[in-house]
Amino acid sequence: MKIENLNAMPAPTWSWLKMNSTSLEIDPELAPAGAAAVEVEGADACRGNDGDFEAALKLADSRFPARRAAAPGDASDRERVDAGNLDQLDVPALSTYQTQAVHLEEKCGPAESFSHGCGSETANYLRSVAQMPVVLKLAPYQKECVTVRINGVDGAISAADIQVIAGEHAELDFIVALDSPVIGTGLVGSLLSVVAAEQARVNVTCVQTLDDSWTALDASGFFLDEGARVHVQHTVLGAGKSVTGLASELWGDTSKISVDTDYLAARDQSRDFNYSIRQLGRKTESNMDANGVLTGASKKVLRGTIDLVHGCRGSEGTERESVLLANKGVDNKTVPVILCDEDDVAGNHGATIGHVRDEQLFYMACRGISAEEAEQLFITAKLENAAITAPDERIRAGIVRLGNKLVSNFEEEIA
Amino acid sequence: MPDTALLHVENLTASVEEKTILHQVNLDVPAGETHVLMGPNGAGKSTLGHLVMGDPVYTVNDGRIFFDGEDVTDLTTDKRSRAGLFLSFQAPVEIPGVPLSSFLRASIAGRPGLEMKGKEFRRRVKELAAELDMDTAYLNRELGVGFSGGEKKKVEMLQLLLLQPKLAILDETDSGLDVDALSVVSRGMDAYRKSCNGSMLIITHNTRILEHLSVDRVHVMVKGHVVRTDDASLIPWIDENGFESFEREAANAAANAQ
Amino acid sequence: MAKNRTEVADIDRSLYDFTYGEEGFERLAAGITPDIVREISSKKDEPEWMLELRLKSLDIFNRFPNPTWGPGIDGLDMDNIVTYVKPNTDQKHDWDSVPDDIKNTFERLGIPEAERSYLAGVGAQYDSELVYHNMQDTASKMGIVYSGIEEALHDPQWEPIIRENFMTVIPPTDHKFAALHGAVWSGGSFVYVPAGTKLDFPLQSYFRLNAKGAGQFEHTLIIVEDDADLHFIEGCSAPKYNVANLHAGAVELIVGKRAHLRYSTIENWSKNMYNLNTKRARVDEDGEIEWISGSFGSHVGYLYPMSVLNGARARSSFTGITFAGAGQNLDTGCKVVLNAPDTTASVETKGISKSGGVQTFRSSIVATPRAEGAKATVSCQSLMLDAESRSDTIPAMDIRAKNVDVGHEATIGRIGDDKIFYLMSRGISEEEARTMIVNGFANPVSKELPLEYAVEMNNLIKLEMEGAIG
Repeated sequence: MKIENLNAMPAPTWSWLKMNSTSLEIDPELAPAGAAAVEVEGADACRGNDGDFEAALKLADSRFPARRAAAPGDASDRERVDAGNLDQLDVPALSTYQTQAVHLEEKCGPAESFSHGCGSETANYLRSVAQMPVVLKLAPYQKECVTVRINGVDGAISAADIQVIAGEHAELDFIVALDSPVIGTGLVGSLLSVVAAEQARVNVTCVQTLDDSWTALDASGFFLDEGARVHVQHTVLGAGKSVTGLASELWGDTSKISVDTDYLAARDQSRDFNYSIRQLGRKTESNMDANGVLTGASKKVLRGTIDLVHGCRGSEGTERESVLLANKGVDNKTVPVILCDEDDVAGNHGATIGHVRDEQLFYMACRGISAEEAEQLFITAKLENAAITAPDERIRAGIVRLGNKLVSNFEEEIA
Repeated sequence: MPDTALLHVENLTASVEEKTILHQVNLDVPAGETHVLMGPNGAGKSTLGHLVMGDPVYTVNDGRIFFDGEDVTDLTTDKRSRAGLFLSFQAPVEIPGVPLSSFLRASIAGRPGLEMKGKEFRRRVKELAAELDMDTAYLNRELGVGFSGGEKKKVEMLQLLLLQPKLAILDETDSGLDVDALSVVSRGMDAYRKSCNGSMLIITHNTRILEHLSVDRVHVMVKGHVVRTDDASLIPWIDENGFESFEREAANAAANAQ
Repeated sequence: MAKNRTEVADIDRSLYDFTYGEEGFERLAAGITPDIVREISSKKDEPEWMLELRLKSLDIFNRFPNPTWGPGIDGLDMDNIVTYVKPNTDQKHDWDSVPDDIKNTFERLGIPEAERSYLAGVGAQYDSELVYHNMQDTASKMGIVYSGIEEALHDPQWEPIIRENFMTVIPPTDHKFAALHGAVWSGGSFVYVPAGTKLDFPLQSYFRLNAKGAGQFEHTLIIVEDDADLHFIEGCSAPKYNVANLHAGAVELIVGKRAHLRYSTIENWSKNMYNLNTKRARVDEDGEIEWISGSFGSHVGYLYPMSVLNGARARSSFTGITFAGAGQNLDTGCKVVLNAPDTTASVETKGISKSGGVQTFRSSIVATPRAEGAKATVSCQSLMLDAESRSDTIPAMDIRAKNVDVGHEATIGRIGDDKIFYLMSRGISEEEARTMIVNGFANPVSKELPLEYAVEMNNLIKLEMEGAIG
């Protein structure tokens, strides 16, 4: 089967750039590996039940009903056009995306607009192959540290559907590890859905260390209530093809999310990222920071969208990316989008795409490091840093396994 | 003579963007000696250091550079480094994304006698850091990023001690070196001399850095020409009189040449 | 040089918004069919290859879908658009021979006066045909050709050159409206600047669309040979009607080795206009294209001048401003293809949205594997003047070459209250303070324009800013 329109960015651009979305071919022979592929650690004190997540979103709906937009193309404009008080030509002719944005604003509360960045078809697919969800429910003020490992099973689809409800003032450190401890092929997927209630803190660290013969499909969605804080660390080091989606909705005032992404792509690997952060509450903050190294004949697409929705007064959104292209065969695509429907906001983005600079190369050459070694150094550094900051031994072992394939003596070097 | 001096620069003429900046420079540094290259701002001192190291910014129009008996004129910079040449930078570059420790390890990788295993390497670097009074936390920081001037100097000296080159060219020209940085450099030079009896070519116009050093020869450079080579007694003389007389002579020589 | 531009007197709102009758004009039936395309072609008595190109383009137009990523064009019913309206005159070389209504139109727009004071040549198009074209003798003595493109097509000296280049920079397959242009194009200018020739004064073409429910499809082809230099200015306006008008022009620019071309546009179509215009430059070794672009008018705008840098070290710079007010959805920006070693591109844009207007900055920077050593910088700032408006920034980058440096910076925000307060504390009214700040914001663009156009642009901003308070 083939999933089309995967990881589509909310506001598309020219189709000839082939950046608007990706697709994923999934071998129909692959069967769901079921619960055997998923290990959950540290969740004894916060196990929830199937249905808890939907209930939490429903509650959020009651706190934040859909609002009637007062922005281009909103209901009042349409009424005036219908009543003949306004000519069609006096109202901006919105794009498909802009019309959808108005619809989301006018008709959809948190439950309906909740998404995972990968698209609903993909989310449903992951849900269906994961079979039973892993539900974590933290009571108000509860603090937990939970790890979920999704281990590739040869010839199968290993996936987890993880649902997190962090109650008011709760704190969760959550680690997701996507790894391929055995030799084989298959798909390793994760669907993470998070409701962060008022003042909750959720830290997600997701490390993906699959070998080239595997495909990674990782998507996460977040709802943030008032004062909630979410931090996401994506470390994407492996897989022949990896697809990472993330969508976050900052409904509550003063809620904040930061997403840090570190990625590496070598050989003919491909990386596809789609991040979309909608800011609806007042004084919300978002921060996306991506850092990557591309080498070999690898490809990467990063779509990052900050959506400053009408009414999000005092909000700020920032997006940064820096990419090092260490080989001429690479293809690096980046589209950092800011959508803005509110004047009292600050949106910033910046991207730096570059190579090892001449003066850096000369300096390194002065220390006996050739140009090729210099490029290798950036890759090694990325892996080392991931190994040093790895949340636990098993994840570290996965990084070392990948590192040994790219760098000679990697294990010994970081020992 | 190429077979006696460790560094032998012969008749070197070089340019940048079609402008000639070194004119038929000759300079020898025999093994084990400490030489000083002095001269006013813009004389071409740093350029010479960079040329010896093979900076691709500059074009060699004529002349050869010999090191340790080999003609290195056409060698790439990394090969010169591995042959035992070292250039300390006045302003080391920043390399975001690469921690200092990874960089250091890459620089010793594959060098006979210097390559070390992970643990051994870390112990060695820690020792050197202690010697230079340097916080080991720097080792995990990205190279040069957010380092102060003094910290950058320490990193340069650390590399000097780690790599133990046969010849260290220390480019201190135009340095706004404060007292701390000066002492770091002095300490580094001392340790280097002690550890491997290395040779040095110190590029400076600041004589303070030379105070506790036994200097064998002094070369004076003006407008891309080496105009004088003498013993250490030249240093106090320059301290007193500056470079004006050399500059005048050079101007006269140029006028005569026309 | 420029005086305090905020002191420019108020302009008459009717400056652009006036109409004249169409007595004696020839209007083809609405809609786009092979018969209409044939009829346009036969009226122009053009070479057979051109008719073939038109019919091929029509076929592409019919096959291609509407764009789905940009502003809505549902309100544009092609069956209602009249593609060809011929005014009651042929092309003249002196204003006195131009019929009074048309002459008055251009007088009111200040074109003959501009021609007298600082232009080396002027072309004026009214609806589907050029009504005036003239260039100073000094320029023609230099060997520069500036004429109607149809006139040049009938000249055996230029026909082969036009044939060789026409719709090669922008092929009809580029997008649906490029195909439409290829099918029904009419009017426009041809400029040829011989090798080594540098023209000190600009040439200007002005396009006026007077006819209700009509389309304007002028074609501009400019060839600047090696080592030559030209500044070309394009202006356009139309009166407002309550039905959709369409503009789908094409501008093809060919810049030779070490040549330089500056292409300046102030677009001020009326707010019932669908402006689906295509502009593109192909630049050879060490050549340079500079785009200066001010977009103020139109109901819907799709405008992305594109630079294709095919020669080593070729350069492109784009400086643009877009001001979207009530009822407008303006999707503007630029495209650059870095297709040779050491090519460079810089993009600096300003976007302003107000009174419910929608403004989108859209760009693409593509570095092909040939573009080793290329550099590109993109800087995009958007100013939101109220919460009812909208401003989107959609910049895409696709880098496939080694040793390329690409930097991108964008910011969106509003005028700081502190700035308004500061100016008001010095006795400046709030409205004036806002206008002053917006003019300052637009300054990087207006300072690139000839003074007269800068004044026009600031007047446009002032006009748009009126009633911005409360």
